Amino acid sequence: MIREITIGQYYQTDSVLHRLDPRVKLVATILYIISLFLYRSPQTFAVAGVFLAVCIILSKVPFHYIVRGLKAVVILMLFTAAMNLFFMPGKVIFTYGILKITKEGVEAAVYMAFRLVMLILGSSLMTLTTTPTQLTDAMEKLLWPLTKIGAPVHEVAMMMSIALRFIPILLEETDKIMKAQAARGADFESGNVFHRVRSMVPILVPLFLAAFRRAGDLAMAMEARCYQGGEGRTKMKPLRYAMRDTVAYLILIAYITMIVLAGKLL
Amino acid sequence: MFDIKNMVHEYFRRDEEGNVTGITTAVDKVSLQVAPGDFIAILGHNGSGKSTLAKHLNAILYPSEGTVLVDGMDTKEEDKLMKIRQTTGMVFQNPDNQIIAQVVEEDVGFGPENLGVPTEEIWQRMEESLKAVGMYEYRKKSPNRLSGGQKQRVSIAGVLAMHPKCIVLDEPTAMLDPGGRREVIRAARALNDVEGITVMLITHYMEEVIHADHVYVMDHGKVVMEGTPKEVFSRVEELQKLRLSVPQSTLLADRLKKAGLPLPDGILSRKELVEELKKLPMNRSGKAGRPGKANSPEKPLSPEGETDQKHAIIIDHLSHEYESGTAMAVKALSDVSLTIPKGQFVGLIGHTGSGKSSLIQHLNGLLKPTEGTVYIDGEDIFDKDYDLKKLRSRVGLVFQYPEHQLFEVDVFTDVCFGPKNLGLDQKEVELRAYEALKKVGFDDDSFYVSPFDLSGGQKRRVAIAGVLAMKPDVMILDEPTAGLDPKGRDEILDLIKQMQKETGMTVILVSHSMEDVANYVDRIVVMNKGSVMLDGSPGEIFTHVSELEEAGLAVPEVTYIVRDLNKEGFGLPEGVTTIKEAADAILALTGG
Repeated sequence: MIREITIGQYYQTDSVLHRLDPRVKLVATILYIISLFLYRSPQTFAVAGVFLAVCIILSKVPFHYIVRGLKAVVILMLFTAAMNLFFMPGKVIFTYGILKITKEGVEAAVYMAFRLVMLILGSSLMTLTTTPTQLTDAMEKLLWPLTKIGAPVHEVAMMMSIALRFIPILLEETDKIMKAQAARGADFESGNVFHRVRSMVPILVPLFLAAFRRAGDLAMAMEARCYQGGEGRTKMKPLRYAMRDTVAYLILIAYITMIVLAGKLL
Repeated sequence: MFDIKNMVHEYFRRDEEGNVTGITTAVDKVSLQVAPGDFIAILGHNGSGKSTLAKHLNAILYPSEGTVLVDGMDTKEEDKLMKIRQTTGMVFQNPDNQIIAQVVEEDVGFGPENLGVPTEEIWQRMEESLKAVGMYEYRKKSPNRLSGGQKQRVSIAGVLAMHPKCIVLDEPTAMLDPGGRREVIRAARALNDVEGITVMLITHYMEEVIHADHVYVMDHGKVVMEGTPKEVFSRVEELQKLRLSVPQSTLLADRLKKAGLPLPDGILSRKELVEELKKLPMNRSGKAGRPGKANSPEKPLSPEGETDQKHAIIIDHLSHEYESGTAMAVKALSDVSLTIPKGQFVGLIGHTGSGKSSLIQHLNGLLKPTEGTVYIDGEDIFDKDYDLKKLRSRVGLVFQYPEHQLFEVDVFTDVCFGPKNLGLDQKEVELRAYEALKKVGFDDDSFYVSPFDLSGGQKRRVAIAGVLAMKPDVMILDEPTAGLDPKGRDEILDLIKQMQKETGMTVILVSHSMEDVANYVDRIVVMNKGSVMLDGSPGEIFTHVSELEEAGLAVPEVTYIVRDLNKEGFGLPEGVTTIKEAADAILALTGG
């Protein structure tokens, strides 16, 4: 029941976007999100929309896969749109009872919805074309300068990748424990909030114990394989920039320039 | 390779302030030497100290007294730590908890990365190691998609890629099904034969060690027996006293020898036994054997058309599909129909993925069928008016590794959880918990211990009591012996049998091991690919050797021995399932 959660999971295929260095994709996604919030005009949004559309086509990921990511945030989107629509002060263009819709409200609602959609599509495009391992690698490499001021970059990256490895296992475990307690007559669905929270105890205690047991085992297995932290480690899959990555960075610069031009001049 | 001298290891129990409250001596003055290139096996049941010993060999633990030398290096010297860990690789018990990366090849690369091996060489080592264990085709897969045996082989490859001189396997097969166990043992032997790596295999399964050069048997932290497998296995009585599972070939040979047949000592495999028996003069007329079970076919199923009242469970054309209606739909059960009379003890057998777990989850409504239905006591449990609570009190389900669901502060409170959920009054709840704990063999003193302080076998008893306290008419146990040593396994199975006799409950025992259930159940149902493949008494089922093998199941060793002897013209009755039956039949031929 619980295993079916999938948001922006890696979609395996072979495309230019898949082959790009994960650092490029990470930087591009961050810059793209910033570009969405830099200016607010139809022109900049048109540029951003076209850019994303081209990327989606290049990625070869089926469109319905990308759109699936939107489902999770549909409520949030409707909520923000409604808030903007009804509560933005300005020139009233429509009234019904106490509800007033202003011109500014409509604009804000449309822009906000557009930004959110682009933001989610853009970031799910990244997770769809990049494996979690590549992502953590990219993060480790990009943040590496921070080790100079004592930030535990390698450790955090290792923790993230272990977490990613164990999430499916722990979800399966949760499923199993829930079923087992249900077989002992436990009821998770009825009763008031207080009751329901209490009914989680028989699930959470075994789940935490299992997680600790696994963590202990894993730590021992890692030590037995000579793990001593990031120092002196080599990489099986080191990140190396190729020609296409340079090209991608140039395209990214071109895109940002166009956004700025569109925002300033038009 | 290893030189262990008078090694002692003590575990300290501490209270919350850190004061020592107790000392457990896990390993007590053990000395042993291992030569390079040897295949060494250490046997013993849980708590005998064998795992503690193993953890000294790559300096995860240090001796309290004595010394451990690994390839001439003392494990107490800290600057040698990494060198020692590289020399001795270690594979652990739980396949899920030792794979670090999300892709097979990256996990194999993890060790070499830690050692600072250059990138190109890591790839080369990864390829070699995965090929050595036969997992190269799976290198791009996620470990979560592999079977237990495959995961263990990946772990072995991960150690192999560090180019160790020795590999210690700490109960690598304890959590695997028979197919997975064979895979792992084969891989370990190949390392020793082909790569010349010293292997130390720690296990509680005797049949896994018959190829070892030297066997040590541990009990209470001491080495109690040692020698070649032949020497050790000829001391059958001592081994049985230690509650180790002696291979059936050895047991049968021992029994025949005691009955006066001139057989040599220390017979290890069925091939040897068959060869030896062929040499003896026997009356091979073929009809001398007393009829075995199979000659008296028992049809446990009552004829159709009887009232439903006598049947505890009727499974009616049940089908189940996971993720139904999507592209990923998997058919787990297809058109299963079974009738189980009240009070029957049924063994449900099938390998992992055969649909047996899906089937039992339908019986107490945890899964809903895609098609078909289930009747319990003549009532359709998937009828929308049917009360689930009532169902859960009627059909108790004990999951695999049930001790992982314990959560209360003490044993007694945990057992109360089930009956309390049924809405009974406090007095009744406590009475039931008391009775249930008594039934699984707990004394009053241990009622208020934390379940987490108990041993594995005891925890499992508490978990079974937790379901028993709901007083079900039908009790289903999913692999109740998984992960237990032979001693624990026999105790749990005896307990279940006894419960069934005393209460007259209908019991369904799910297992992938034919050998385990053959001696206990009235009827065996074999599942394969989501449907019922065979159904009948153990004697009947075991005559279908080739079909069972196709379904990835092994029949008991004695059944194979009898079949092999019959190929040599012995003419023994088919469908022999126990050692006693086999011995009697063979002795009848010799006129003894």
